[in-house]
This record gives sequence, structure tokens and C-alpha cells, in this order.
Amino acid sequence: MIEVRHGVFEIRVNKDYCKACGLCTAWCPQNVLAEDEEDYPITPGLKNCINCKLCERHCPDFAIEILPPEHPEHSKYKGVL
Amino acid sequence: MKLQTSQILKDYMRSEMLPTTWCPGCGLGIIMSSIVQAIHYQGLDKDEVAMVSGIGCTGRMSGYTDFNSIHTTHGRAPTFATGLKMARPNMKIFTIMGDGDAMSIGGNHLISAMRRNIDMTAIVVNNSIYGLTGGQSSPTTPTGSKTTTAKHRTIERPMNLEVLARAAGVPFFARATVNHTASLVKMVERAMNISGFSIIEIISNCHVLYGKMNQRPEASDMIADMDNDTYRSNPALEKRSSQAVRITSPDAPFGDSEDSKNVDGFEADDRTGRGIIIENKGSVDFSARYYSMLEYLKNQKEKAGDLS
Repeated sequence: MIEVRHGVFEIRVNKDYCKACGLCTAWCPQNVLAEDEEDYPITPGLKNCINCKLCERHCPDFAIEILPPEHPEHSKYKGVL
Repeated sequence: MKLQTSQILKDYMRSEMLPTTWCPGCGLGIIMSSIVQAIHYQGLDKDEVAMVSGIGCTGRMSGYTDFNSIHTTHGRAPTFATGLKMARPNMKIFTIMGDGDAMSIGGNHLISAMRRNIDMTAIVVNNSIYGLTGGQSSPTTPTGSKTTTAKHRTIERPMNLEVLARAAGVPFFARATVNHTASLVKMVERAMNISGFSIIEIISNCHVLYGKMNQRPEASDMIADMDNDTYRSNPALEKRSSQAVRITSPDAPFGDSEDSKNVDGFEADDRTGRGIIIENKGSVDFSARYYSMLEYLKNQKEKAGDLS
């Protein structure tokens, strides 16, 4: 069984690479992502993220990334347990 | 699982070349990421991989990825890859072509490479149009769709790469879309492990030129449509090839004529099969045969020398 975790993931959008194509927002199944006034993705529903990575898979520009708590760049990273 | 984007960028991309020059929402970036992930999961060293690309939007891919790369003349990517494979038989070669690159100007080069069974993974990105030069009709433009050179809709039939690959006897043919990204990574991984010419046709989107002229101006709409335009084919059930790639455009006014639908026994269903369609694991590629022939001739010569 895969354990579904909520509210522990962080989403990082690299605006240098992002071209505001809207693919990540279109594919998000949990309504985590939305578009701001310049069509860049923002994360109003971050607590619903389930780390499915559909946004990452469909991003053609390597601009969006989901950071699980195991990732060193996550803000609550506690090191290798 | 998907490889973390930061790891892809750090290990496999030339970050100073990014962001890409492709249009926002272009499927080529998804394809590039899938190829890189497949190479990572197969555990290959970057120096063992070569990426050869021709001219077109796809041609830029070899510049963004941090492998050994050649950006060659229009349509001649399989030709350069053939020479590379003969000189360095241990290298894993990816030949990236667009539909115009592979099927129109480079059609004969592609056929010859398929017929010789050179070991390479050819990736043909099919976006139904010549994207770089401004939206002219390409060999894969579906019947009934508008392009800049067919203002009153295309009346030609699109080319079926699957039948061509079957006729030339390739050991591996698969068709993927940029919507089904997880299976695309698996297909590239399977294609890499085939000894011989393995070819993957990837249906991509050109919403900026093709989509704008055919009522699909949004990238997300066009990619989501690939779910309806394709079906998951089962090679065990389909002994013969089914139908050409998107043979009619959904909006074709006279696309439903007899001529455009029933091509020599093809069914009226205009969806395209996706999945691994041909897979022959026992194939032996050209460079292996060539070097074993050299070995044989050398042994013959030594035997003759011993007798005299």
C-alpha cells in the first residue's frame, strides 16, 4: 500500500525557467495550483498536495518541483534518519 | 517514481542554455525530460550516451542535454549516427528527429538506417506540422486540417511510420504521446535495451501553429485531446498495423470521405494506437555483425597463413 500524505510537501516554481504555459495548473488533480495575474502558477491549496508529480511530469521547462520532506532543500528537512 | 527536477537539471542539462527557446507549453521539453529520466534509470554514464539531432525545433534538444551531442544537417541525423555507431560500437545513441526531418527530407536516410538495423534509439517527434519554419504542411498533417500552405484544408493522406518501420524490418517500434509521460519513460528504457534500430514515434503538440489554425490554441487542450485521439494498443491482438496517424482532423468538413477514411483495409476509426507495437528481442545490430565478420576474416587469414 502506498501511504498518501497531505500537507507535508512544498512546491517550488522557478520563474526564470517558467513560461506560464498553464500545463501544471491544468493537470493538478487536487486543485493545489492556480494562476496569478501573469499566468504563473501559485499554490493556494498546498495542503492538498499528494506528491503525484503530474505537474512536474508535464512541465516542459523544468520550472516546477515538488519537494518531499526527505529532500535536503525542504524547509523542514531533518537530515537522514 | 519521477526523478527530481533539480537532479535532472544538475546532472544532465546544460543549465547555461536554459530556458529553452521552445514555445510555452511545447511537448519537446516533456520528451527531453523523459529521455533523460530513462537514461538515469538505466544507469548509463553520460559519456557513453550520444545525442544526434537534425534540423527543426527538435534539433535544439542535443544542445540542452549534457551528453555527447551532434547537431547535424537537415534529415541526416540517422546518417551521422550510423558513422558514430560504427566508430564507437559501445556508445548508446539517441537520434532525435522531427516529423519533417525524419519523414520528408530524411525519409531515405531513415529507411536505410532501419533496413541496416544499426543500433540506435530513434525518436521521431510528430507534431503534424513544420513548426520551425512557420506551419507548413508536413508528411504527417492529418487530412482536413489547416496549415499555412493548405489554407483550404489538407487533402493529402498522412504518412504511417508504423507500416514503414514494419516494411523495413525494425526490431522495435512504439508510439507514445506527450500526455502519457510515465509510459514514455518506460518505452525509451525498453527501446534502449534492444540491439538494433528501435524507433519511437511520439505524438507531440504544436498549439502555436497547428492548434491555432485548427481550433486548439491552448497547449493543455491539445495535450488532453491525445487521450481521445489514441487508444492503448495490444500488440498480441493486433497482428497487422491498424491505421495511419490521426488520419482525419476532428473538424474536417470533408474529412469523412471514403478516400480519407478507408485506407486499404483500415477501419473507419481514426484513433491512433499507442504502446509498444513491435518488439523483437533477438535482433542483432549491424555493428555487431560487422565486427564479427572482421573477426571471422582475420581468423581465415591466419589459418591460410599457417598452412602456407
